[in-house]
Amino acid sequence: MHIMEGFLPWQWCLIWWIIALPCLIYGLYQLKKVLAADREALPLLGVTGGFIFILSSLKLPSVTGSCSHPTGTGLSAISFGPWVTSVICAIVLLFQSLFLAHGGLSVLGANIVSMGIVGPLAGYTVYRLLRDTSVNMYFTVFLATALADMFTYATTSLELALAYPAESGGFVGSFVLFMGIFAITQVPLAIVEGIVLALVFKYIVALKPDILIRLRIFSEDKINSARGDAGAV
Amino acid sequence: MLVRFNYTLEVLTVIAIIAFCGIFLYTSSTMGDAEFAGSDTVGSGLVAELSNTPEDEFEPLIPQWEPPSGEIESCLFALQAALGGILVGGVFGYWMGQKKKA
Repeated sequence: MHIMEGFLPWQWCLIWWIIALPCLIYGLYQLKKVLAADREALPLLGVTGGFIFILSSLKLPSVTGSCSHPTGTGLSAISFGPWVTSVICAIVLLFQSLFLAHGGLSVLGANIVSMGIVGPLAGYTVYRLLRDTSVNMYFTVFLATALADMFTYATTSLELALAYPAESGGFVGSFVLFMGIFAITQVPLAIVEGIVLALVFKYIVALKPDILIRLRIFSEDKINSARGDAGAV
Repeated sequence: MLVRFNYTLEVLTVIAIIAFCGIFLYTSSTMGDAEFAGSDTVGSGLVAELSNTPEDEFEPLIPQWEPPSGEIESCLFALQAALGGILVGGVFGYWMGQKKKA
């Protein structure tokens, strides 16, 4: 999902930076607030952030004959919301721009918007819609995670299509072309990522249910009944 | 103790990963021209095509350091994954310890 350094005109770099910065500042403010209210939120932040580090470093082969990486942002978006997630993504993306030449400082704003803001926001929205329904908790996590991944790549396509409309077909034509590269490659990855992170969530439920209840990530009833199902303990 | 079968998610995960590997083996053996390059690179190629500019004429707006070789790049990627792994493993261990103590 990285737009490479130099591949976005400076006007667009500026626009995406202007969108990204207030989100990051609000995310930092929220992060401070969450950690001040409950120190036990810090380990959860470590786990959810850790998966962003791990998954976004794995470049996996896909059906289109090219490679792409999952984003891992779903768990963090569910636990802490999209704004805090954007801060963690900004750290990962900064590391990748400085040391890996994946993305770059001028396009960092655009990459933060896709991986750190729009993707997590989409996942968070799905989670909020399903949280208080009878839909299975792990299925909710799966769906939110997979969609956070897909929307990240759809946003990258959008950012590139806006900057490079096709000669025939204009913006829509070029959006379709970019989606063909990014989104189709991403479908199998997003499904596997969703299942894996749902499994990780199961282990968090088994080990540290109280933090999930205190942060009101899911209702106490749902968590307790899932633990009952798990049978362990 | 475990009362009934409750490893549905684990089984699903294993099936998903095996299916993913199967798809990869199928694609890599049937698509002769598949290079498995990064989709970032493929995307940049399309940008070059759409803007009628050769790809090597895109200059970084802000100068950046590039890993001198693929080995160094994968080393740094492994470092990133290792950092994440330490965080995840550390916290799960911390939680298990807390639970044991409680």
